[in-house]
Amino acid sequence: MNIEAINERLLRAIGAGVAILSPGAWEIQFQNQAFGEWFDVAEVGAPITSVFPDLDFEALVAAIESDSRYSVEASFRRKRRTLIVALTFTRASADFVLLECQNITRIRELETMIESYSSMVERNTREIEREKERVEKLLLNIMPRNVYEEYKTFGVVTPQKYDDVTVLALDFVDFDEMAEKVGPSVMVSEMNDIYVAFDRIGEQFGSERIKTVGDAYICICGLREPEGDHAAALANAALRFVRFLERRNKTHPHQWRCRIGIASGSVIGSVVGVQKYVYDVFGVAVKLSHRLRDHAGPMQIVCAEDIPGDFKVDEIGVRAVHGFGDLTLREVRGAIAS
Amino acid sequence: MTALFDKYGGFSSISRVVMAFYDKMLDSDDIGEYFDDVDMKRLIDHQTKFIAALLGGPASYSDERLAQLHAHLDISGSDFDEMKRLLGETLDEHGFESDDRDAAMAAIEARRALIVSAA
Repeated sequence: MNIEAINERLLRAIGAGVAILSPGAWEIQFQNQAFGEWFDVAEVGAPITSVFPDLDFEALVAAIESDSRYSVEASFRRKRRTLIVALTFTRASADFVLLECQNITRIRELETMIESYSSMVERNTREIEREKERVEKLLLNIMPRNVYEEYKTFGVVTPQKYDDVTVLALDFVDFDEMAEKVGPSVMVSEMNDIYVAFDRIGEQFGSERIKTVGDAYICICGLREPEGDHAAALANAALRFVRFLERRNKTHPHQWRCRIGIASGSVIGSVVGVQKYVYDVFGVAVKLSHRLRDHAGPMQIVCAEDIPGDFKVDEIGVRAVHGFGDLTLREVRGAIAS
Repeated sequence: MTALFDKYGGFSSISRVVMAFYDKMLDSDDIGEYFDDVDMKRLIDHQTKFIAALLGGPASYSDERLAQLHAHLDISGSDFDEMKRLLGETLDEHGFESDDRDAAMAAIEARRALIVSAA
């Protein structure tokens, strides 16, 4: 067997489709078995454009001229399958161009499958992200952000003592009477409206709502930044709570009048409970803010110590505050700047 | 309970089931012709999602979507049976335990009314 015969046998034996073309006429001079099986019209003497009607013939000729090489993908239907082949034309000598065809159908099919799968996974991931955000929002409703961060990282929350914070306690005058008079749905929607507004105002002044129990609304300032001027911030928030209600009362049928107590001091904050956990604070400042609120009249903000900053604060006299003895109480009437 | 999708190795294994099932469907003398004019990408996309949904993987193919996709194909009950048989065969060949195979078969049977549209 001479070397040519061996070469021909080799070409016939490989899995890829192989053809040899004449560069001038671009006709098939030789094709191996795989090539003949893949392309029905392929036979010796047939022009390559009859085998691949969609082939960009000009591009092929130009590329062979300049680079001696041209690669392209072609797809065709074989029964009901789409076969995809990668064609590589290589100028092997002045007399012939070698055409190699790799069947890349399965690769393309697998790529399609991976695309399809990753789009599903991405969609799921987005859903999980959204769900996580919902859970986070819910948890942020029941605990301050720094506590939530700790809870998220460690799974538990260590009770913490905050030495210097300010607590605001608020309730509404004649709340029970109003609850009796208007229906439950009106009551809830009114409270919702007001508490949402309070939360928004509080947020502007760096305070966080700790809880509401019926008409009692408790928020606290100084948990996040202990060094800040939390008493002034909360006094500002309190003044805006009152102003908000005054404005609201002008246009709403139900009149809401609040009483506010503000006290600074230490508190302990922690998540309490396992299944139904709630973030709570307790301590001297919490207790005093409640007592001071009880001494406040409608739309009055009462504190026991001067508020640092430019506030109009009037003394309203010495009162016996349960658990705290006689205290000189003050009313915050407004900010001097305003 | 672990989903069959995860039990049998997740996407890396299930992708083989999808590919084998795809081949069987196309090669079938009885139902292959349904795919004569179907785009390869669309068909693979559909089958990847369908098999994943059937085995409790990440896709959730809604019943409406499934019905919508097959409504115009006029698929008969016996064609559906053939498809089911081919899937059962594929699962057997890929080492599904008989209980799991039956569970998947029951899941596909539950969707019969969505896919079969010929009288």
